[in-house]
Amino acid sequence: MAFATKMALGDVLPEDCPPLLEKGFEKNLEKLRDLVAPMQSAEETGIKLDESKCTGCGNCVVVCPVDVAVEPPTGRGKAGRSRDTVFIVENGVSKIINLEKCRRFPPDRLNCRVCEQYCCTDAIEIW
Amino acid sequence: MEDVVCNGCSLLCDDVVVEVTDGEVHSLGLCRLGHQHLLSSIESNSPQASTRESGKATEVSIDEALERAAELLLSSERPILYGWSGSTNETITLGLELAKTLGGIIATPANLGMTQALSHTLHSMDLGIDLEYVRNNGELIIYWGSDPTESSHRHPSKFAVLPRGENIPEGIESRTIGVVDVRNTETMKMANHRLIIPPGMDSAILEALVSEISGTSSIASDVAGIGPQELIGLARNIRKADCTVIFYGSGIINSGNADANLSGLQAFIEAVRGIGKQAFALPMAPESNIMGAIKSLSTDASTSSITDIVAGDFDAALVVGDDALVELPGSAAKALAQLPLVYIGPPGITSGKARVSICITDDVITGIGTMNRLDLVEIEFKQWNSQKEERLAEHDVMARLLELIRKEKS
Repeated sequence: MAFATKMALGDVLPEDCPPLLEKGFEKNLEKLRDLVAPMQSAEETGIKLDESKCTGCGNCVVVCPVDVAVEPPTGRGKAGRSRDTVFIVENGVSKIINLEKCRRFPPDRLNCRVCEQYCCTDAIEIW
Repeated sequence: MEDVVCNGCSLLCDDVVVEVTDGEVHSLGLCRLGHQHLLSSIESNSPQASTRESGKATEVSIDEALERAAELLLSSERPILYGWSGSTNETITLGLELAKTLGGIIATPANLGMTQALSHTLHSMDLGIDLEYVRNNGELIIYWGSDPTESSHRHPSKFAVLPRGENIPEGIESRTIGVVDVRNTETMKMANHRLIIPPGMDSAILEALVSEISGTSSIASDVAGIGPQELIGLARNIRKADCTVIFYGSGIINSGNADANLSGLQAFIEAVRGIGKQAFALPMAPESNIMGAIKSLSTDASTSSITDIVAGDFDAALVVGDDALVELPGSAAKALAQLPLVYIGPPGITSGKARVSICITDDVITGIGTMNRLDLVEIEFKQWNSQKEERLAEHDVMARLLELIRKEKS
């Protein structure tokens, strides 16, 4: 279970588990590799933002606890202008500009998913 | 960066900033719709005029085009002056003057249903709240037949769903959200109550909710395919909330049962107010100044329905600020395209078909005039990028056309 947790956090890979490298476990290893493949393309926080799906609605900015703490008017719905936030809506789409400020970023790795939860177009996905 | 007011939709966002350097546009806060609108307004910002005979267009000066337009409209016995939902209030006032001078009929896209909705007795129920009030007090929000994720991107984040307000300290955590629609919309992702109903069944749902809220009877079986548990749960949350706001859209107005649906909304509001809670219903429409057009034209103008266009009641048309041939239903667009047509507005399909076409600078760039937001609050444009290229405001073109026609008439 501890290994599975570490794998989910991206700290280890399926091939780090010696029994999986033994003969007869090839299919399991393959399955696990498929499972964690999307995580490897995600950032350290597991957040992926697909700008082509984003409408620039600003939902992520308003619900992000970090953004509201940095720039309180965004919590009341105002458009964000600070460049010290996690998200900014720039040229019509949301962008992640300070990933390291995200609450999911190591070492804290809080299981915060509000941006994904309120992204209506599924532009934000957390792996 | 400079402050601008975006007229990409009826929210008229005034908290956004823009910078244009060497033709490169950089915006903060504008949604995709607003940013694209700004880009296309900047790209097409070269005032130009043309006349068209037998399908062949000739570029002419603005003065020549105005003279030809005046001639064409003066020779008409019954012109229709259509559009205005993308024009400033000041331009609409000139349009009203022109309609009176020409003895013409004025019409807007609101004639497709929104005007009728706003003249329903529902809107005599003291519904005069603004979106800031919703942000500060709206505890239970229902999008009914409206989908802001498609048309007014920032509506949920700026006003109705996510922001914190005076009496909504936790934002979304302090609110309950419902969405009623005929399909699974993207807005439903934010909702606690998702009701997908067959088209035209809105009033049945409203009736069931009214009976549950007022305690006259309890829902025992499915209503329009929605289970009793879901409906009772929604009614319970409505009873709990201090302030319920319904944002109704074309799903209510254009489903064929508009009158029954609006009467259902009225009964709903009466029922919620009857238990001592606040309740409001506000319309949702995407056109940037549709509310300003409705407000201005509800005074003393002779207005027309879209069916009059199809019936061939007019012998010429002036289209201002709306790409009418794109927006109107097919039959009306076809009938309009067959009339001698004068067009004033941003370039589009209508400008390419009109006998006289004057393409102007969008109001987001001129930064002059006022529009009414979705909740009727008047928003003034902000001037920006002031030292830049040639501009031709729609308002100025209308003023010159009115002057010409008055001169000819006298």
